Amino acid sequence: MGDSSASYIHMVQHLIEKCLIFHMTKEECMEALSKHANIEPIITSTVWNELEKENKEFFDAYAQSKSKDDRMSEEETSQMIQKMISESSKDSDN
Amino acid sequence: MQAVSPLAKTTTTKDESQEQMDNSFSTGGNGDFPDLLESIDFGNLFVGINDGDVLPDLDMDPEILADFSVSGSGEESEMNTSVSNGKVEDNTEKNEEDKVLGSGSGLDSSLSTRGEEIVSKGDESVVVNPVSKESDNGRKSTQAKNNQGKRKVKVAWTSELHRRFIQAVEQLGVEKAVPSRILELMGIDCLTRHNIASHLQKYRSHRKHLLAREAEAATWSHRRQMYRAAGGGGGKADMTPRHAPTMGFPPITPLHHQHFRPLHVWGHPPMEQPLMHMWPRHLAHSPSPPPPPKWPTSPPPHPSYWHHHNQQRVPNGLIPGTPCFPQSLAPARVVPGIPPHAMNKVDPGIVVPTRQSGPHPLFDFHPESIDAAVGDVLSKPWLPLPLGLKPPSLDSVLGQLQRQGVAKIPPTCA
Repeated sequence: MGDSSASYIHMVQHLIEKCLIFHMTKEECMEALSKHANIEPIITSTVWNELEKENKEFFDAYAQSKSKDDRMSEEETSQMIQKMISESSKDSDN
Repeated sequence: MQAVSPLAKTTTTKDESQEQMDNSFSTGGNGDFPDLLESIDFGNLFVGINDGDVLPDLDMDPEILADFSVSGSGEESEMNTSVSNGKVEDNTEKNEEDKVLGSGSGLDSSLSTRGEEIVSKGDESVVVNPVSKESDNGRKSTQAKNNQGKRKVKVAWTSELHRRFIQAVEQLGVEKAVPSRILELMGIDCLTRHNIASHLQKYRSHRKHLLAREAEAATWSHRRQMYRAAGGGGGKADMTPRHAPTMGFPPITPLHHQHFRPLHVWGHPPMEQPLMHMWPRHLAHSPSPPPPPKWPTSPPPHPSYWHHHNQQRVPNGLIPGTPCFPQSLAPARVVPGIPPHAMNKVDPGIVVPTRQSGPHPLFDFHPESIDAAVGDVLSKPWLPLPLGLKPPSLDSVLGQLQRQGVAKIPPTCA
């Protein structure tokens, strides 16, 4: 039983990481995993918490970037994106 | 009077030796040692044989020396030669070594055991067996016969010897470890460069073998588990059919598929405790003071090793790269119109949703993309974690779940 638990937890972690790439919140992640992967939210939540404990730095930065995102307005974001695009096109040109 | 009571069964003939012994013990003088040694072990044991100066312990000393010191192994050859001669001067020299290397009582007990054995062998210049008790220092069993490797002597790679070998290799870097340097680092004179070279070769090939097997077994077993979990949970029909691992190893079920356990030490029975745990404690005998071990602190270039520790100190090589911090993810935000190259950090498996910008939250996600991502994970569990976050300990997760009333995972009723 321990064996499958380990794999299961690993799977949940994998899924959570995918959600993190989507910049989901914990709640959103719980919902998504429950809906798409039939994972009980309580499990998602627990694994998320444990992951957060183990990767505090990451989650801190993650939360920061998310709050920054929240604060930014649409225009600011578009401007930022535009700037990035131009920078990267400059790079690609070089 | 009797400083070494169990060993020195006092005989009247050796009374003065006993006194000398006492003196030696209290003063620790050099000159007393020959007598000391005689009286303690051999004097009593070799009552008939021992002439006082001529010492069977000459035979034993090389063994003792080998046991107690690898750094002084240079003396061995001298001792070997002197053994046959049986000179007192050599004895003195060796005795100094003994004094330096061994504690008095430890020496005594070992000497006595050897002494007993030597009695039976008489005045042989070579004693092989008695040192078996002291062999934990990695002495070769045939060491006594090895005279500086004139002929190729078969090396018995004891675990201790092997450990030193690994130590040396680690210090040099496994790819750059050169036999001559390893030999220097190990400082065991009885090893020839050739011995080391062949051992190194075997070691390298074994490591590769183990690496591949472990990786394969881990992913394969994990995949198997995932199918079980996914099958129980969702009953997805589009599960990729399981195919046998290419290496064809028996289904090993490494519970810690992400953490390399100490693998079977090639050539030796599997060690339960990683040798590295004892590593610092044995530094005293190391010839050159080793630099602080690199491997525990720096990420190893090579994932699995024989002497890997149980603790997950070493980040295993299977986890790809470093976690991507959100800074790199920020540009990956879903905003329509962004050309793909601005989002190069995003997992390519994720479909970029294309939708109109507007009052939507900036990071809205299409259900399809999430579904795709989730399906990806479920169907291909062997894929490396996209972020490579450090996984939490299984026990703590399970504990937490139990505290919240979740008994079994995966839950039977999804």
